[in-house]
Amino acid sequence: MTTKQISIRRYLPERDDAPFWQPFEVPVDDSTSLLDALHHVKESLDGSLSYRWSCRMAICGSCGVMVNGIPKLGCKTFLRDYDGEIRIEPLAHFPVRRDLVVDMEIFLEHLAAVKPYLIDDAQAQETAETYRQTPQQLARYRQFSNCINCGLCYSACPQFGLNPEFLGPAALTLAHRYNLDSRDRGKAQRMPELNRHDGVWSCTFVGFCSQVCPKHVDPAAAVNQGKVEAAKHTLIALFKG
Amino acid sequence: MHKPPRAHPPLPRNWWLKHRFFIAYMAREATVLPLVFFIVCLLAGTLALSRGPDAWQGWIGFMGSPPVVALNALALVASLYHAWTFFQLFPRVMPLRLGDRSVPASLMVAGQWAGVLAVLLLFVWVFGRA
Repeated sequence: MTTKQISIRRYLPERDDAPFWQPFEVPVDDSTSLLDALHHVKESLDGSLSYRWSCRMAICGSCGVMVNGIPKLGCKTFLRDYDGEIRIEPLAHFPVRRDLVVDMEIFLEHLAAVKPYLIDDAQAQETAETYRQTPQQLARYRQFSNCINCGLCYSACPQFGLNPEFLGPAALTLAHRYNLDSRDRGKAQRMPELNRHDGVWSCTFVGFCSQVCPKHVDPAAAVNQGKVEAAKHTLIALFKG
Repeated sequence: MHKPPRAHPPLPRNWWLKHRFFIAYMAREATVLPLVFFIVCLLAGTLALSRGPDAWQGWIGFMGSPPVVALNALALVASLYHAWTFFQLFPRVMPLRLGDRSVPASLMVAGQWAGVLAVLLLFVWVFGRA
């Protein structure tokens, strides 16, 4: 079995104030994912390494890291695709807690701010009856509902890097996803949050969020469709007085 | 509950030099610079027109000087590059549906270029006869 070298940016606040790079030699074959490599480091080389992971199959969204400066899921990144150096860092634009573990609190706050759940007051008052939705109605938002909240799009977004108050790709996409849902009546409650400077209007359509999204959600499209909706919302409010 | 102080790592000024995707984005945004020059030229032209024949001839001379021609040629290339990026992004921002079927993005991009061609032909027809 061959080996490859990966360099990990370590940060151990109790030992050192500054992060440092540490190289590790890991065994690889065609099926070795970056997450497998991190497991090997932790189990066999240095047990002090901290990183998040859970499902190993790109659905929990826990193992996001920067690989050579690009946000990626560790479980969906394979070392066979890298010839030269492999530099692993914690997700960009988030405060680092320890090694590859970042503080995602602000991301969770942004998610909660857009009320990402079905809002339907009329339904709540009625008896327990299931919603009905046609395949066409489902198709309108389905792509945007595939988000796994991994946060890669926030690490790809320079606007979030410049201004952490920007609601960001995933939260705005989720807001748009519920606004497009035929079962939802909460658009009026979400629009004021979207239609402000730190909402959709902070996006300049760099589009890198959609490039790095491991679930092909295309958050850039959702955010910019949100701009169209926000503009409509403003115009309608203007005429209503 | 105790929360650690939030310290978001600042983005270095040269962030956009670190990936070719960001360089392409900045190039797209920078297309506005030569286009501003072109707009100023046009405004100066209309001002010269209102000031009489001498001013107009002066403006014609200015527009014919090599650096101005070069800058305006750059503005043309910049506007075409911007149009190319814009046309690709458009179907993602304004997806069209006809009945139950969505219009393919490639068709919308082709439609926009056909529009450019139509405007170009119209200009040739209007100004080509003068």
